Amino acid sequence: MMLEVPGAAMLEAVTLTKRYEDGVLALDHVSFAVKPGQIFAMLGANGAGKTTAINLFLNFIEPTDGEARIDGIVTHKEPLLAKQRVAYVSENVMLYPNFTAVQNLDYFARLGGKTGYTKDDYRSVLLRVGLSEDAHNKRLKGFSKGMRQKCGIAIAILKDAPAILLDEPTSGLDPKAGFEFQQLLDSLRTEGKAILMSTHDIFRAKEVADIIAIMNNGRIVMQEPASRLLGQDLERLYMQYMAGHTAAEAVA
Amino acid sequence: MLRTIIEKEIRDIIGSSKFAISFGVCAALILLCFVTGAVNYKTSQAQYEAAKAENLRQMEGLTDWFSVQQHRIFLPPHPLASLVSGVSNDIGRTTEVRGRGELNADGSRYAEDPVYAVFRFLDLEFLFQVVLSLLAILLGYDAISGEKERGTLRLSFSNGLPRATYILGKLIGSFLALIVPLLLALAIGSLIYPILGVPLSGIDWLRLALIILAGLLFVGAFLTLSVMVSAFTQRTSSSFLVLLVVWIGAVLIIPRASVLLAGRMVDVPSVDELASQKARLASQLMEEDRTRMSEFNTPPAAPGEDFEPDKMLKLFNTFMDSLADARDKQMAEFGGRLNEDRANKQQAQERLAFSIARVSPSASFALATSALAGTDMFLKEHYRDQTMDYQQEYGKFMKEKTGLNPGGRMVIMLRDDNENEKPKEIDPSEMPAFKYAPPAFAESFGRAIFDLGLLAFFNLLFFTGSVFGFLRYDVR
Repeated sequence: MMLEVPGAAMLEAVTLTKRYEDGVLALDHVSFAVKPGQIFAMLGANGAGKTTAINLFLNFIEPTDGEARIDGIVTHKEPLLAKQRVAYVSENVMLYPNFTAVQNLDYFARLGGKTGYTKDDYRSVLLRVGLSEDAHNKRLKGFSKGMRQKCGIAIAILKDAPAILLDEPTSGLDPKAGFEFQQLLDSLRTEGKAILMSTHDIFRAKEVADIIAIMNNGRIVMQEPASRLLGQDLERLYMQYMAGHTAAEAVA
Repeated sequence: MLRTIIEKEIRDIIGSSKFAISFGVCAALILLCFVTGAVNYKTSQAQYEAAKAENLRQMEGLTDWFSVQQHRIFLPPHPLASLVSGVSNDIGRTTEVRGRGELNADGSRYAEDPVYAVFRFLDLEFLFQVVLSLLAILLGYDAISGEKERGTLRLSFSNGLPRATYILGKLIGSFLALIVPLLLALAIGSLIYPILGVPLSGIDWLRLALIILAGLLFVGAFLTLSVMVSAFTQRTSSSFLVLLVVWIGAVLIIPRASVLLAGRMVDVPSVDELASQKARLASQLMEEDRTRMSEFNTPPAAPGEDFEPDKMLKLFNTFMDSLADARDKQMAEFGGRLNEDRANKQQAQERLAFSIARVSPSASFALATSALAGTDMFLKEHYRDQTMDYQQEYGKFMKEKTGLNPGGRMVIMLRDDNENEKPKEIDPSEMPAFKYAPPAFAESFGRAIFDLGLLAFFNLLFFTGSVFGFLRYDVR
């Protein structure tokens, strides 16, 4: 089931399939598209295939079939070029504990090919993600998970890529940090970023996403614009799909 | 991008508390090594000078050179031997020179001070082999698997970063982060020698520089090995465990096992066996000479001539000399054959042991540094050759002084004691001095070059292994 959206997709999965060496089918002919200015949320249980999809976009693994494209570039054919157009935030941002927040930002910005940033640029992006100024020059070893997550998002912002991949970004964040994160995603969408987010957080997905997909056993079992799900109990819907109901059964 | 990774690696390593503590300890040990080395050298030098003086003092008051039956010479200490002791403490340092016959050095440092044999010395060789190789492992074991556990590998490779650039940056960065501070500590340590008044010639400085180079190549081999193992394992705990086992094998087991193995494969007769064979022949020859001595008859005095004791003694001494010459010749031939056979077997055993041991960088390092310091296996042979040369010089001198070949022979002398004439004392300073010349630099370097090359090869091998391992690494 592929959602028809007008315009060019920035992130695109075309019958993306991944079967691991041990025979496990982690992703089974998955197709979706995320356009600039859209947030695509993938919901699903552990092992549903969400992280595998992100790994395929980052070319950490090669697809068994199909393609992952970033800005039209097939990731497993031109991985270095494709990765220049995407930023990534992992579930548990660790970074370098002996470096300060600014030093971490500087290193990853340079790695992303951005060499012209000044300390003021780093400070302003850290303030934008909600990290107070007194923490900017402190080593990360003393940071909480929420503070590290903010640094991870700051790194993604500094890369200034047209697409962003977020792997369980709100996992373990307190409600305040989760809300701040939601606001940040809104502003990134406004800037025209195409965002693919995997999450367990149904509430956050409903609040922030433009398109919501539910994944189960490596397949997308539901993919709908969030506007169409307004008024529906997404949690109940999710549980029904997880229980193996068909789309018709679930909607009914 | 390469520069960014190198800079990050250096900053990450040097900024860690792990590095600060472990390097602080190592730097202190390096300085301690040079201080103890200098003190040790000065003590050994003082003991050497005292032994030489005592040797000459014992000749004071002697009134004829016949009384000097034995003369002791000593292997002088060398400043670099205090840093890389090699076999210098194990071989005998004192040799009794008789003027002829075989020479045996005894009185090794460990024989004189057995307490040092229990724990051995804290020298630069030990420090590199045991402590600094562990430091290299400590800094390199989590180079790749640690990044994976931290999640920074995943984040790094979400960028358009070629794997070869990343691993190259890692290797160069970690190498510089370890080598530059070590070099600094070693350079400061080296200055302790002249500050404490230990004399080092230009060639000695060159030797020391090459010893340090060998040490850095050795530490580099363990660092690149650590990165390589880290690039083949997914967890830091696995990487550390593998490296610990490899370290035990390379540093503690392989060099020792190679000697045992070579000993089993090539049988070398013991010195005692040879001595026993030589003693049997000597005893047999002495028995034959005794028979000849009993048959010695002085020609009867011609009619009208008086009995001339001087003439008789001269004849007897000449006869004894000829017996001793013939006996010595036979003993020399027989002993030479036995010694040559043993030396050949020993060389074959050594070659085999070293060939097996060179599987480990630790063995290559020990062989290279001891050759450069002049304290390798060659030292014993070199010292023995020089004592043999000196013995010839000593023999000539004694013959000049006594008119007879020296060497513990039985001679009969008649002395006309004139109580009114006080005998003149001998002047011990007339005796030729034993001047030991350490192995020439070119000779030492020639023996070290293969092992230096091997250490460089280990670096290259592990470097290539790291790149190869990482190109296939699962960065997820």
